[in-house]
Amino acid sequence: MLAQLDATPVETPEIVWAGLLPLLILSAGALLLVMLRSVVKRLPADVEPHLITAIGPITVLGMWFAAGLAGTDVPLAGLRDDMGEPAFYIGLALVMVLAGTLVRTMEIGLDAAITVGLGLSAFAATWGIWDDRWQVTGPFNAIGDQFAVDGFALLFAGVLAASVVLVALLLDGYLRRESLDGPEMYVLMLLSAAGGIVMTGANDLIVIFLGIETLSIAVYVMAAMHNRRTESQEAGLKYFVLGAFASAFLLYGIAFTYGATGSTNLVDIQIFLSSGQLVDNGLLMAAFGLLLVGFGFKIAAAPFHAWTPDVYQGAPTPVVAFMASAVKAAGFAALLRVFMLGFFSHVDDWRPAIGALAVLTLIVGSVMAIVQSDVKRMLAYSSISHAGFILVGVHAASLAGINSVAFYAVAYTFLVIGSFGVLTVVSGVGDRATSLDDLNGMAKRRPVLAFMFTVFLLAQAGVPLTAGFVAKFEVINAAVDSEFYWLAIVAMLTAVVSAFLYLRIVLSMYLGTADGDAADLGDPIPKAAGLAIGIAFAVTVGFGILPGPLSDLASDALPALIGAG
Amino acid sequence: MSDYLRSYLTVGIFGLVGVALVGVFLGLGRILRPDHPNLAKNEAYESGVEPTGDMWSQANIRYYVFALLFVMFDVEAVFIFPWAARLEAYEVFGLIEMAIFIFILLLGLIYAWRKGVLKWV
Amino acid sequence: MPEFLTDWGLLVITFVPLAGALLMMLIPQENEEAHKQVSLLASLLALALGIWYLIDFNYSDAGSLQYVVDESWIEVINSRLIMGLDGMSLPLLMLSVFVMPLVFIYSWDHIPHPGNAKSFLILMLILETGMIGTFLAQDLILFFVFFEVVLLPMFFMIAVWGGEDRRYASLKFFLYTLFGSALMLLGFLALFFLSKDPTTGELLRTFDMRVLSDVAGAGIVRSSQLLIFGGMFLGFGVKVPLFPFHTWLPDAHTQAPTQGSVILAAVLLKLGTYGFIRIAIPMLPEAAEAWAPWIGLFAVIGIIYGALGCLAQTDMKRLIAFSSVAHMGFVMLGIATLTDFGINAAIFGMVAHGLITGMLFFIAGSVKERYHTLEIKRLGGMLLQAPKLGWILGFCVMASLGLPGLAGFWGEFPAILAAYQPANGIPEETFRGYMVIAAVGTVLAAGYLLWLLQRTAMGEAPEEFANDPEIVDVKRIEWIAWAPFLFLIVLFGVAPGLIFEITDPAVVESLDNCLQLEGGCEGVAAAAQATFGG
Repeated sequence: MLAQLDATPVETPEIVWAGLLPLLILSAGALLLVMLRSVVKRLPADVEPHLITAIGPITVLGMWFAAGLAGTDVPLAGLRDDMGEPAFYIGLALVMVLAGTLVRTMEIGLDAAITVGLGLSAFAATWGIWDDRWQVTGPFNAIGDQFAVDGFALLFAGVLAASVVLVALLLDGYLRRESLDGPEMYVLMLLSAAGGIVMTGANDLIVIFLGIETLSIAVYVMAAMHNRRTESQEAGLKYFVLGAFASAFLLYGIAFTYGATGSTNLVDIQIFLSSGQLVDNGLLMAAFGLLLVGFGFKIAAAPFHAWTPDVYQGAPTPVVAFMASAVKAAGFAALLRVFMLGFFSHVDDWRPAIGALAVLTLIVGSVMAIVQSDVKRMLAYSSISHAGFILVGVHAASLAGINSVAFYAVAYTFLVIGSFGVLTVVSGVGDRATSLDDLNGMAKRRPVLAFMFTVFLLAQAGVPLTAGFVAKFEVINAAVDSEFYWLAIVAMLTAVVSAFLYLRIVLSMYLGTADGDAADLGDPIPKAAGLAIGIAFAVTVGFGILPGPLSDLASDALPALIGAG
Repeated sequence: MSDYLRSYLTVGIFGLVGVALVGVFLGLGRILRPDHPNLAKNEAYESGVEPTGDMWSQANIRYYVFALLFVMFDVEAVFIFPWAARLEAYEVFGLIEMAIFIFILLLGLIYAWRKGVLKWV
Repeated sequence: MPEFLTDWGLLVITFVPLAGALLMMLIPQENEEAHKQVSLLASLLALALGIWYLIDFNYSDAGSLQYVVDESWIEVINSRLIMGLDGMSLPLLMLSVFVMPLVFIYSWDHIPHPGNAKSFLILMLILETGMIGTFLAQDLILFFVFFEVVLLPMFFMIAVWGGEDRRYASLKFFLYTLFGSALMLLGFLALFFLSKDPTTGELLRTFDMRVLSDVAGAGIVRSSQLLIFGGMFLGFGVKVPLFPFHTWLPDAHTQAPTQGSVILAAVLLKLGTYGFIRIAIPMLPEAAEAWAPWIGLFAVIGIIYGALGCLAQTDMKRLIAFSSVAHMGFVMLGIATLTDFGINAAIFGMVAHGLITGMLFFIAGSVKERYHTLEIKRLGGMLLQAPKLGWILGFCVMASLGLPGLAGFWGEFPAILAAYQPANGIPEETFRGYMVIAAVGTVLAAGYLLWLLQRTAMGEAPEEFANDPEIVDVKRIEWIAWAPFLFLIVLFGVAPGLIFEITDPAVVESLDNCLQLEGGCEGVAAAAQATFGG
């Protein structure tokens, strides 16, 4: 019977490789890294430092090539023409030398250096696509009609790449402190980010599901990576079981969507739904509900948030930084894509559900945070309330809403990596010192770190002149613009409630006096972690004072659906 | 109710009848059979050997690792068979795809091997 | 060089303190002298600029905005960097730049426990930038940002340098204010989205306070106006603080270090009342009219409640704090009349209260420093032990209770008078009732203030302090810091026209919309003009 099948070639999808470059860099890089490190287990001691130093210049070249391949021209071609070729190449060489020196002074490990290099190259590739391809030709499909490259996807891909870089810098010192050295964590993180990029551009529910699973499974393992801490094991297991449960819901929702619309492709779904052929929408409603449950788990929206505090408390702190930034951003990107593009014609049907989720999430996140005594747990609840804020932006279901979600996701990524970065550094061996009392007197022991943490926390509270304020402002702006005053009021009031939580942490740092046996004995801050926190700080304050550039990016970054034609 | 959903009704009825049948047969057996329990009869049957120890016994952790590796390559076969059946249709594109797929799996094997998982100690 | 004032001056005066703070960040912490010098210098620079403005200001055109700066700022949220100065903001700007150097002088040898002059002074400089910016901002978002910027340094001043209960007090202060401003921001946003051009009916989509005051809520349905005003009412009312949102104030004042209390009383509370007269009323006159009886009601409750609260206090600082609630009640009553007369009185009341209560808190700080307690029961005989300190306390108490000839009188008396005839459309009977209650409040004020004076300053010195060598009279640094306060209290008491003449045109201008819309109020405005010769 098999022989009877006709042997005419199957039509293969058209692939625009350049559009896939960030994804390829991250995933292929991860595979190469794991292969390299399994074959060559230990490098000779006199080679390793030189190799690590060499990664600096290689990264610069990698970024340059990646951006060039992704775009249609050599990157910085304009600059090259202005400067003249010799001057430009001398400049490039200088930057390479500088990068080498920077890597050397950071005293970073080999795996972390490679990961940072890959992340930066992916970032450069994203920028190249944005600047030379997307802005020139507009959004396009990269693989058939399954994976779109539009401003929205590119922005989130950039966010994911940036969070990979920052978290890798945090992980380096952390893994050494906990003696968990090894490439596994980095490889998993790169794969997870690759899954995230798949989610942000997916044009098909099945592709979204693939992305979510790649993203999630890697993070389940990462959460359980600290194998000498039972809390970490517990976190991994809990996250895995509940995550799998959520995936099942999502898949069921996809199945119902297929049942209702006859397709899993967002373009087809959108065409079918807006043509008004759907007479009875009972099945579609069930699909909305199930999809929302699935996404709700991923973004930690109440009432599907129960795993968050335990997992955030138990998982290794840098991993939490990654979960709170990249995983959440990718989840929101996919949610927005599915509902705003695929189901936009039925906005009146799904909007109330999102609104209810938003209100519940805001209230649970801010109120439950107050009674916690562990800082990681507090920040877990605060991340829930941030999810509520972003949902307010989704609920607006307008251009302003999409822009505000994009802005919020970018700003929040840096805020949260900064916050958990500080916690990583101060929590001491075994992540033990994370209770509120452990922070007592931190302002005296580590004034700079305490100051930065204060800024991150205040930014999360939405104090002006930080990126957090502009983010919250834009969300509220979108809600008021769509005339959902009640939602805006709830959001503002819960923001005040959660301000209490951030102030509690700040007060602990500035008021409490350190106990003699405080776990944090003032070990030197790993330089790489310091760099990551510094970058996050600069972004938080920079985009707080001058939000224009980021906001312009966010308002350019609109999702688009392109048909197969 | 739409036609579509109505077609599920058949499935539902089928399921209900199935559950009912099981109940009926078990109940019938209960009514008809003689019932004389004693100690020996209530013991768990384990190939004629007298059961000892707890119900929960730990299996060696190493079995799990092997089981995992087995599942990995077992599932691989599921993907390879259909591809092999339609080899001509997919042409070079399919060949490269499958090469990448097998390479990734191989990578897993290499990783496991270098981690010392394959050694039985 | 008036071009400088027109082009850059307002930006410079706003950010000079901040520049000082940035400079201080570079100086190592050990070098306390340098920190004190830089902070004082920065605030003196701001004062000098302020005086320059005072001289250069075009008084014949005090009603319109002068020295306008209009630059693009955060375009994405349609917010522009607009600043300007008119007769309404000038007195309050001057109050801010005048008080701050004196506070820095006082800080010369009064850095509260646990030290760290660097951070303390930097926070105060940031505070100054926030206050000046709030009074100058002419864009709602810019206003909001400065309004919030003030919050943080104050929070840290109370939280780190405060008294026993500082953790509670600082949190309460922060959360109350944040709660108010959250709803206020919503109100601003609603204004942004709903305001329409009255002639063309087009949506304006602007945060420009000049434009929004001009259109005065045109195109917004009445119910929305009422709600938006409600949001602002909460935001500004908490800051004032208006009864029943006042409970943070006694705690914050009691726990704050002396400098914090002085700044809080002298300037920070005025941000709220300023918001009412600058934003809430001109932009939503119709809603203001509807809300006026309620504002008036809360104001008179505040007057009586504050006075009764004072009588129940055992702590000198807490008593002064409650007296603030009562005094701000008078200010709010003046505002609630929505007349030129009342609002002029309110602005005068703000300045007067800033000077007098600021001064009282200075004295309280000095008493605490000498006696190590502020418990009224344990104090006494100050006139014998430290006669000059005692006399200054007496002088301020007299000023505070509204003795004619001192500044306090011109804040309270016209406010009560204005309540006799509120603007058209506001129930007259109600306000006459308020007037009577407020008058009773003045009597109560005299009661508790004289009681305070009697218990602390008069009589014999209590045994425990009888031979305490720490109890000395006013020191030189205190004289330098206090003399300007005392001088101005007398000056404005004798010549109230100095302020009224500046504020009146601006108030008339801002009420103009209200007059046009309501077609009333002219009579009152004219009467006020006649009274004060504006």
